[in-house]
Amino acid sequence: MPWISKEREERIKNRYKDVNVTRYEHAVSFEVNIDIFKDFLKYLRDEEGFKHFVDLTCIDFPEREERFQGVYILYNPDHNERVIVKTWANNGRLPTVTDLWPGAKWGEREAYDMFGVEFEGHENLRRMFLWEGYPHFPLRKDFPLEGYKEEELPSLTEVLAGREDPPSHDFELVHTKIATLEDIERTERARLKKKAQLVLNWGPLHPGTHGTIWFLFDLEGEEVVQCDVILGQLHRGMEKIAEHLHYFQFLPYTDRMDYISAICNELSYVQAVEKLLEIEVPEKARYIRTMFAELQRINSHLLWLGTGALDLGALTVFLYAFREREKIMDIIEGNAGYRLTTAFLRIGGVHYDLAEGTLDVVKAFVKDFYGRLKEYHSLLTRNRIWLRRTKDKGIITKEDVHAYGLSGPVARGSGVPYDIRKLEPYAAYDEVDFDIPVGEVGDVYDRYLVRMEEMVQSLRIIEQCVEKLEKLPKSAPYINKKHPAVMAPKQDVFNDLEDMVKNFRIVVHGEEAPPGEVFSSAENPRGELGFFIHSKGDSRPYRLRIRSGALYNLSIFPKLIQGGSIADAIALLGSLDPVVGETDR
Amino acid sequence: MIIDVIIALGKIAVVLLVGLGLGAYLTWVERKVAGHIQARMGPSVVGPFGLFQPIADGVKLLTKESIIPRGADVPVYYLALILALVPSLLIFSVIPFGPSFTIFGKEIKPIISDVNIGLLIVFAMGSIAVYGTIFAGWASNSKYAFIGSLRKAAVIVSYEVVLGFAVLGVILIAGSLSTVEIVNSQIEKGIWYIVYQPVAFILYLFCMLAESGRVPFDIQEAEAELVTGYNVEYGGMRFGLFPLAEWYLNVVGLSAIAVVLFFGGWSGPNIFGPLSPYIWFLVKTFALVFFTLWLHWTLPRFQAKDITDIAWKILLPIALLNVVVTAFVVYLFS
Repeated sequence: MPWISKEREERIKNRYKDVNVTRYEHAVSFEVNIDIFKDFLKYLRDEEGFKHFVDLTCIDFPEREERFQGVYILYNPDHNERVIVKTWANNGRLPTVTDLWPGAKWGEREAYDMFGVEFEGHENLRRMFLWEGYPHFPLRKDFPLEGYKEEELPSLTEVLAGREDPPSHDFELVHTKIATLEDIERTERARLKKKAQLVLNWGPLHPGTHGTIWFLFDLEGEEVVQCDVILGQLHRGMEKIAEHLHYFQFLPYTDRMDYISAICNELSYVQAVEKLLEIEVPEKARYIRTMFAELQRINSHLLWLGTGALDLGALTVFLYAFREREKIMDIIEGNAGYRLTTAFLRIGGVHYDLAEGTLDVVKAFVKDFYGRLKEYHSLLTRNRIWLRRTKDKGIITKEDVHAYGLSGPVARGSGVPYDIRKLEPYAAYDEVDFDIPVGEVGDVYDRYLVRMEEMVQSLRIIEQCVEKLEKLPKSAPYINKKHPAVMAPKQDVFNDLEDMVKNFRIVVHGEEAPPGEVFSSAENPRGELGFFIHSKGDSRPYRLRIRSGALYNLSIFPKLIQGGSIADAIALLGSLDPVVGETDR
Repeated sequence: MIIDVIIALGKIAVVLLVGLGLGAYLTWVERKVAGHIQARMGPSVVGPFGLFQPIADGVKLLTKESIIPRGADVPVYYLALILALVPSLLIFSVIPFGPSFTIFGKEIKPIISDVNIGLLIVFAMGSIAVYGTIFAGWASNSKYAFIGSLRKAAVIVSYEVVLGFAVLGVILIAGSLSTVEIVNSQIEKGIWYIVYQPVAFILYLFCMLAESGRVPFDIQEAEAELVTGYNVEYGGMRFGLFPLAEWYLNVVGLSAIAVVLFFGGWSGPNIFGPLSPYIWFLVKTFALVFFTLWLHWTLPRFQAKDITDIAWKILLPIALLNVVVTAFVVYLFS
């Protein structure tokens, strides 16, 4: 993404004298004093046009007196510029920015949950992923990776059965504290003060929530008066894990975030690391990446289409979508060796060269898929019931897109052409031709149409990639193994001493990254997936923040559902299309 | 006298066995139909063409542990089961499967009871069946079940009204409420009443889908929203009874009534010999059942308020108009 221009930087510096600017190639940050911090943000939003909220997080520096640094990433949609604003916390406190960007509500909750930083003025500052009463803050540097050893804790079923004797599990091995029933109840009560007739617990295990999301609906009849979402059922502490792994080791973890579109996640991560390590990627690898990312996008949209229709009662579309999805899975499996969590990309390229015959299969798939798309359209697009369920439901305005930091098809459904593939082309997206479909109204139906059209555009991209890849010679390199931080392919390792030594060194010591910062994002099927890496010059990131598109897209749900019914909730949730692996990380 | 009782019992036994057997085997039919609609095989492992699947399902349901939720109202919990199953079976008591025939000098009508208010019984049973749903939702002590049953109640209340007015046209033309008389009058006139009453038939179809809780009116179940709605707290065969009664017996029963009202009952060219009327009746009925299944696996689901909206604002005025026009025409030509 183009970062803030020099000219604008000068203008800001003239206005705010004591602002420190740090310019890295892929991250430009302003460090401001906490006293003028809110004023500065307001100025950036109103005067300089940085109205799109991208992300908010903290970094822990235990050696500093202030200790916590707040990091805010903003975007100017008019000039396509991005900026990072940093400030030091005052006694572990930061002012809230939810009055400027309501989308920061969940980001602040998460920062509070992970660092214990309090945001003054936040309407209901609760733990985001962990339960109320959990005593630690996991992303602080003094929190051990293996967790704190706990007293033996019986499981919930054992508590319910009234068992007092030592439970059957070996609790020496269980390091992390498990929430008790009381904890869960306390968490629920802290989220929502009952105002209406009944509070419906929707989830965590519910077929309509697409994973383990826990919705609380305060219902008046069937009308939702207020709503909150409890996440964290699938929280695995990815950001903490990343701090203790070499860069290449973290790659398979990204598969397990948005597990529907693993290759897109990998692409986003690999790109961020490549920017940090300054690695060039060979042309063939870029095209393979693009092709597979787009296949994965179709794959992901098919899952969305199937489950979304299933939620609205159209049971058959689900299986039609899965029929095509299976073919994509086969293509991916044939190349990566895995279907779901592929670990196909590598830092500096891709793991394998294209398997023989892949391009023919892809061509056949593309040819067939146009007709299949027509089939889906004929089942749904003009269907009166479908229109009735989706039209004018859950309208998102353009202002809300920016204020809540929405991205992906959700933003585009509201007419905001926010697509990282165009704004900051990565892989081979600047060399292929495609359009960005946008909606007009911003309702559920528009988001449906946008996603359907995106599949067509993906097909176009795939066709162009296939064309290009057919022209490239078979011997063209698919990984940049000359770079010292890139591991060579396996067949070279077994045949070549130098490659073996290099791989050995990387596996043991990791890649040596220069100190610096990178924020890099990619257009995932579920929105902008960004990686913010703060490196202190080690083979491990000092702080790796994952900006999840699905989380921010979901964060507008409680607002949209007010006044709607449960039946609307399901249509709306389907159109926001969160994946819990990514929202919870 | 004794013979009459025996004949009646025999008829009940046949209808009950056929009815329940059909219900069970309709699950197989539905799964096969759904399978082929959805580009897959459907049941195929248990027996040839998966024909023993319903038996396996039955055994599974019967042997499953059945849990009554804490805080449930136990008598009502069981009463709901009875109220769900019995009315849908009772509908079959007024369905004429064929013309009367004489055996050993005794005239036998292939209908359990040819009462002159046959259609009223059908509507009454439809209305009673909703208590099964409401009781199930109430007694389960679960929010999901409760919301589902309330939705169903709202639907039934509105569609009972429409249903009543929709078939009034046919009753006016036939001049009788007896199901046998309606069929006979169609045979006498040599025309099916769908020709006279196409609007009424479409209204009837809507009501049939709503009453039996089929897509697009399956809001009381709505898997994705309410898990399965009103029957979520039932387990084992108790759970199995609800779909059996609602999805299968009700659909077959109401389809049979539709055939009686609009498609001339058992009438049809005599090409199958003496069994011809019965075969025609079943063919017509199952054509309608198949249509219902086809809709079920194709369409999305309406929202609760849309369904009642459609009933009160669109269907009811049309039905009223239909009745008035029919009454006029009947008055002028008779």
